[in-house]
Amino acid sequence: MAVAAEHRSQARERSRTRRRFGLSFEGRLMAPALIILALLSLLPFLYIIAMSLSRVGLIGGISLHWAGLDNWSRLFSDSSVGAAWVRSIVYFVATVGLEMLLGIGIALLIYELAWGRNLVLSLLLMPMFMAPVIVGLLGRFLTDSTFGLYAWVLRETGIYSGDILGSTTSAFIAVTLMDVWEWTPLIALIVLAGLASLPGPVMEAAAIDGAGYWKRLRHIVLPMIAGVVVVALLVRSMDAIRYFDIIYNTTNGGPADATKIVPIRLYETAFRFFDLGYAAAIGLSLLAASILVANLFLRTLKRQGLAR
Amino acid sequence: MRGGLTRREVLARAGAGAAALTLPGWLAACGGETAQHHPDADQWKQFAGTKLNFISENTAPTSAIAANLEPFRKLTGIDVTITQLELSALVQKVALDFASGLGSYQVIYADPYQILAPYHEALADLNTFMHDDNLPKLEDEGDFIPVQLDAAGRFVDKGKVYALPYDAPTMIWQYRKDLFQKHGDRMKQDLGFDPMPSDSSTWEQFYKTSKWFRDNAREDVPYGHGNQAKQHDSLMNDFSNLLWAYGGDYFRNGTAVGRMGSNDPGDPILDSAEAVHAADVYNRLVAIAHPGSRGWDWDGLGAAFSAGQLAMCVNWHEFAAANEASKATKGKVGYAALPRGPKRRACMYGGTGLGINAVASEIEQKAAWLFVNWATSKDVQLSNLKSDVGGGTPTRDSVYKLPQVQKAKHEPSSMPNILTTDAVFEAWKPENIGLRPKIAAWNECDTVIFTQLSKMIAGQQPPDSCMSNTKDGFVQAIDNAESLRRA
Amino acid sequence: MNGRKIGIRALIAVVLLWTLVPLLWMLLSSFKPTSSLAATTPELTFTPTLEHYRALFSGGNDIGGYAVNSILSAGISTLIAVALGSLAGYGLARSEFRGKDHVAFWIISTRMAPIAAAVLPLFVIFRATHLLGTTTGLIVAYLSFNLPFAIWIMNAFFADLPPSLEEAAMVDGATRWTAFRRIALPLVLPGVATTAILCLVFSWNDYAFASTFSGPDSQTLPMAASQLVTQTEIDWGQLTAIGTIVVAPMILVGLVVRKWLVTGLTLGAVTGE
Repeated sequence: MAVAAEHRSQARERSRTRRRFGLSFEGRLMAPALIILALLSLLPFLYIIAMSLSRVGLIGGISLHWAGLDNWSRLFSDSSVGAAWVRSIVYFVATVGLEMLLGIGIALLIYELAWGRNLVLSLLLMPMFMAPVIVGLLGRFLTDSTFGLYAWVLRETGIYSGDILGSTTSAFIAVTLMDVWEWTPLIALIVLAGLASLPGPVMEAAAIDGAGYWKRLRHIVLPMIAGVVVVALLVRSMDAIRYFDIIYNTTNGGPADATKIVPIRLYETAFRFFDLGYAAAIGLSLLAASILVANLFLRTLKRQGLAR
Repeated sequence: MRGGLTRREVLARAGAGAAALTLPGWLAACGGETAQHHPDADQWKQFAGTKLNFISENTAPTSAIAANLEPFRKLTGIDVTITQLELSALVQKVALDFASGLGSYQVIYADPYQILAPYHEALADLNTFMHDDNLPKLEDEGDFIPVQLDAAGRFVDKGKVYALPYDAPTMIWQYRKDLFQKHGDRMKQDLGFDPMPSDSSTWEQFYKTSKWFRDNAREDVPYGHGNQAKQHDSLMNDFSNLLWAYGGDYFRNGTAVGRMGSNDPGDPILDSAEAVHAADVYNRLVAIAHPGSRGWDWDGLGAAFSAGQLAMCVNWHEFAAANEASKATKGKVGYAALPRGPKRRACMYGGTGLGINAVASEIEQKAAWLFVNWATSKDVQLSNLKSDVGGGTPTRDSVYKLPQVQKAKHEPSSMPNILTTDAVFEAWKPENIGLRPKIAAWNECDTVIFTQLSKMIAGQQPPDSCMSNTKDGFVQAIDNAESLRRA
Repeated sequence: MNGRKIGIRALIAVVLLWTLVPLLWMLLSSFKPTSSLAATTPELTFTPTLEHYRALFSGGNDIGGYAVNSILSAGISTLIAVALGSLAGYGLARSEFRGKDHVAFWIISTRMAPIAAAVLPLFVIFRATHLLGTTTGLIVAYLSFNLPFAIWIMNAFFADLPPSLEEAAMVDGATRWTAFRRIALPLVLPGVATTAILCLVFSWNDYAFASTFSGPDSQTLPMAASQLVTQTEIDWGQLTAIGTIVVAPMILVGLVVRKWLVTGLTLGAVTGE
């Protein structure tokens, strides 16, 4: 022990003596990446704040004209943006909630498999690597009321004969399920990793005690993987706020605005109406929400001693 | 792509022998200087080696040209790269390019409402090129169907031309002749009028006919008609036909705002009794339409019709090509101008012109002019019509007068879109054409109206609140655009 | 086999069906002749054809150029992100300084910025720096999410290594750089591979950045896919073919690093098998 400590202090000594340009060895390693990152994040951040306080001219180059808090006051009185927030929250809870439930369920199922676990897992993970734009377009193909496989199945079985992406409820369910289809495997993967790390004897001991499966699940397994489940939830949440490609390529917000979540509204304001100042204000509010989730994520990691 | 024309075919069709190798046939033909060395030949060659980017909606004439760019390369020595996008993606890309100030795309498919109206300042005035003696002359400007040159090419100022008419899709009535013939007598008896589309057909009759099919001819066709009622630009188009037919309009002087465009259209009048009536009729129409209608734009509707799911529909006339290519509908489709309402008959015009990016360098702009000139010429429009991948919707009167085109008006036709000629010429009459407002705020207004209509169709609001909400949305959108324009 | 086991297998079969049917249908449809695709009742028997794949690589809409752009922009961005991310990740893992938590938070929050919000100011900055419409622009745009991701994960992988190994090497006279290069880096190679592959997948799959920043010479494959939605039809044959082309390589490389995926995808919060 003492020797190791001595080595460590020697190493520190060395790193201190080798400082150049006032930067430690670690500092020099981090510098290039952090400088680029700063250029790519702080600069845009400051700029989007400036935009949100301006009217932004477009033709012949972008120009900013001071508009004070106009965009912000409009944001807080715009009922269509408010409605988009409500929809976003519903969509968020529905997708992430379903993904969590199904993902945990699937992980528990696979965990029970005696053989073929890796094969099943590999097959299961495939949707996760798909470009969301392809998921959206494929979803459109499957639900097309004239040629779609799923539309046909639902029609023939008498479950649903309307146009799936054409009415409000079914369209909302459809885009939710497309997201669930793509991302449930992620949750299953993470939770399965948590299950795999459980000490075997705990489970066996409980089984010998005669505790039934549900009882063991409820009182032993779930509490032990709770940390991993929370991580899965947060990881998925962060991405759920980010992406909008699936909706963008299927309903693009329709019908009757039923799927117009905030990122779609933002993209439309920015790149269809080219109302860039107002879009910046909407964008900053969305950014605030995602930072909130990021914050939660980090705190959770810390509390569980997982942060490094 | 699927077997486009070979170069030799195109040249042969140009029909001017040796001169066609260096000149488009029409130059030789109209100048009466056949086979002589034409000084214009050098004018066409002067920008050889330039590279151009043409950005277009993926529409029939562009597909035809993309499949067969060799004649242009041969004529000018200019390489053209074509990017084809879906309409909303196109509008976004073009606006971004204008904002970037790069002029990456020199030739632009300038949708009159979504691009020309809001961004006309970024497009070059084509008069500069038309009157430049060092550039090849434009073949007979008067040959463009006049209302189209205004609608697709101009904005407010009569003295400027921002785009030359390139395509001319127009909404017409497409119906299954075979089914109308089969059931005609019974329908006449049951309904008390002749259901066959004619000059005197009305929207009320359209409704009753559709319902009759749904109730009585299920074994032949699942539904009477379909709509393109997705929350999308298509819904605005689909509804506008009724809006005008029932005497409503977007603005008080709607015809002028539609044809020439306006910077100050006045207050929207979308909450008029006529407009609400039109919305109510439209709502009832969608209610008996194929249930897919609420998720269809023109693509979805066209696909369902050509798959034999509908007895009739209202769609762009260029879908004739798809109808004739499908087993289920080949040779069975008739075309007519849209039904009448109490006020008039209105058929939405959706033509677009080709414009030139004003940010591009002078050389590029001139090279782009050669392309625009060529791509809207009579011969290219004719070869587009014949293309397997295209179809085309000519914008020059003379094309329709050609004997071979006249012949194609009757089945079996080598140019399926020409089957619609009588219907579209009826639709293009000044009293029948439907021109939506050409205003800077259009992109936002369009979104407002198709969103509100979509909510009405979903049963979330009745027609009267739909139209008054639409009006409020227009006022707000026009305000927003105005404040941006001042920025 | 008891009832419970049968039940579990049946449920897994249902899950696999739900997961795989869309993928198989896409693959199948890409080989279907157009007439078969247009059938209103799904057809399972047909004569397979390569017409859609052939159409994608010929004529006016050859996707070859798109594929090259995709490979260049995703590939180069990945290389840069992994190289710089490994250095910074190691630096972060081995240093203690005041405000380290804040730096870490800043890094991770840049990765989480909603894409729709990030696109907006980047467009203006790219315009000023002439990066619009170029592949370089896309590479830089992808760095905006790949770099923080790479730093964060590499940090997690390095933090799992006990520093004693490097310290021992340094006692033997190695410089810190050599200790990093020769000792630490080789030990986290699986981590490097995982990071690289995930960066590749993220940027390959991007649509929002590419559709906003790319010009005629830098369009990528996902854009080519969305461009098949045309005025008069959606060419489902070509669309499913391009879908297959876009998706297949990512699934393959993704599954190669399956063992370490968990660590990568949870940003190091959960360690895999």
